[in-house]
Amino acid sequence: MTRLEFDGREEFLARLRALVEAGTPPERIRLQMPFEVAEAAEILGERPGAVRFFALAGALAGFGTGLALTIYSVVSFPLRVGGKPIVSLPPFLLIGYLLTILFGSLGAFAGFLLLARMPSPRGLAADAELADRFVIVVEGEEGR
Amino acid sequence: MTGTRVGSEVERDVLGAIRRPGWRWLLGLAVSGLLAVLLHVLWGALIVRGLGLTGLNNPVGWAVLITNFVFWVGIAHSGTLISAVLFLFRARFRTSFNRSAEAMTVFAILVAGMFPLIHLGRVWVFYFLLPYPIERLIWPNFRSPLPWDVFAVTTYLIVSVVFFYVGMIPDLALARRHLPGLRGRIYAVLSLGWQGTGEQWRHYARLYLFLAAFATPLVASVHSIVSWDFAVSIVPGWHTTIFAPYFVAGAILSGTAMVLTLSIPMRRWLGLEAHMPIDHYEGIAKILLFTSLLVGYTYVVEQGLSLYGPSPFERDQYAFRAFGPYRGLFWLMVVCNAILPLTLFLRRARRSLPWLFVLGILVNVGMWTERFVLIVASLSHDFDPYAWGTYSPTRYEIGITAGSFGLFFLFFLLFSRLLPVIAITESKQALADRAGEEGTP
Repeated sequence: MTRLEFDGREEFLARLRALVEAGTPPERIRLQMPFEVAEAAEILGERPGAVRFFALAGALAGFGTGLALTIYSVVSFPLRVGGKPIVSLPPFLLIGYLLTILFGSLGAFAGFLLLARMPSPRGLAADAELADRFVIVVEGEEGR
Repeated sequence: MTGTRVGSEVERDVLGAIRRPGWRWLLGLAVSGLLAVLLHVLWGALIVRGLGLTGLNNPVGWAVLITNFVFWVGIAHSGTLISAVLFLFRARFRTSFNRSAEAMTVFAILVAGMFPLIHLGRVWVFYFLLPYPIERLIWPNFRSPLPWDVFAVTTYLIVSVVFFYVGMIPDLALARRHLPGLRGRIYAVLSLGWQGTGEQWRHYARLYLFLAAFATPLVASVHSIVSWDFAVSIVPGWHTTIFAPYFVAGAILSGTAMVLTLSIPMRRWLGLEAHMPIDHYEGIAKILLFTSLLVGYTYVVEQGLSLYGPSPFERDQYAFRAFGPYRGLFWLMVVCNAILPLTLFLRRARRSLPWLFVLGILVNVGMWTERFVLIVASLSHDFDPYAWGTYSPTRYEIGITAGSFGLFFLFFLLFSRLLPVIAITESKQALADRAGEEGTP
């Protein structure tokens, strides 16, 4: 296992690029970063991740819940007011819109916790290390 | 000079501020704490003796309590604007303010949410507002704006809390490393064991983007829905299509003013001058100027709608606002919201922190007054002269209003000592970006 530490972002990225170009398989490279560096994921060829699917699922579920709740409530207790239709879509869409945002945000947050494996027992341990520098760890180089 | 080393100064200064409470902070805490207690005592009196203690009457059934609700929901808006909208637009000056603006949003919604409950009188039946299955099969009337409000404000609160918390996770992990003992453990638990691995950052970046995207439409929608509490009725002065954009522009104006009022003393007392440069305040001042122009424009349009529209009641209502018993407040609102901010066309005024601080307070005086005039004047002077009447608040309502400011500042003071007031990791990233652009690695 090799551990490399850097102060600056540019040297870190240059080294990472060199490692990948030299043929190190990206799945053997672990990174720690004090802030987000989008290029690092690009160099490793990582795709954006599945948080978006959780956000989408939450948003659709929210929209469905909003419409189902409002339509069910008026159909189960029909009270016609002012000759207006029982199912009044404009105000019901408003509830659907708000729940789209609510469930979408909560879905994205839940997806993040699941994918980033948080709360993480290893991270909560008293001796857990937190990056204040850029770290590249290359695992299992015995075969090379 | 590398990005990380520059960034460690931000880390030291911001986290250092957590550790040393000064006398000003303790004094502020004591005063705002007393006001918050006053709020609860007076609310207790309203619960025990009833809403007869307020100045509410027939015809003015909505007054200072609803004014406060609209005012505080409005204050929340610029927090979301600064944190979400400016994030999507990649505005650099955001990093100085986004954390305190997000905190302001959460606290303002909490305070705002109290007012419909206080105004209910019988607060113990507040759950009638929520949709829940009961054997009587009675549901809230989803065609009424009041249940929309319940959904809008609840959604806004939850999404703002998630956004505030998610933005803080990497900084809480940093705070954990700086603080020993029990406090460090608490921050560790709050950070959920964040370690800053490549995998965590990858998902985190997506999450933050999505939360910003979800929160952005809320900036426009929440206060639009609040405005429909009024605009959906037929009361002259309320029943107009301009209300939604009018309320949203006013909300961002008042919230931006509150960011100035809070952050200028905070910057000085916590010694964060280096991390909250004047250039960033100039950016905020430009938002204030822009929204003030929008508000001024809607004042003119509102007048046009009433003067050129077909309804004599609308015309009479407008004349009543400008020349009736509330005329002093009306002209105060015009001066504070539409005229004084015009000084920000001068670069010197935009870069003068004392003026921005004073202007922030004056704009919020104006915005509070605007909501009061809008609500009370319309109700007190509608169609039938027989039903006209005026309203003035009692000391209970004045005390509760003062107490709401106390509660808000109490929350904010606690925040300024317990949590990192500037987004440390984002500032580090911004510094690294700038260093990269200047050609130094």
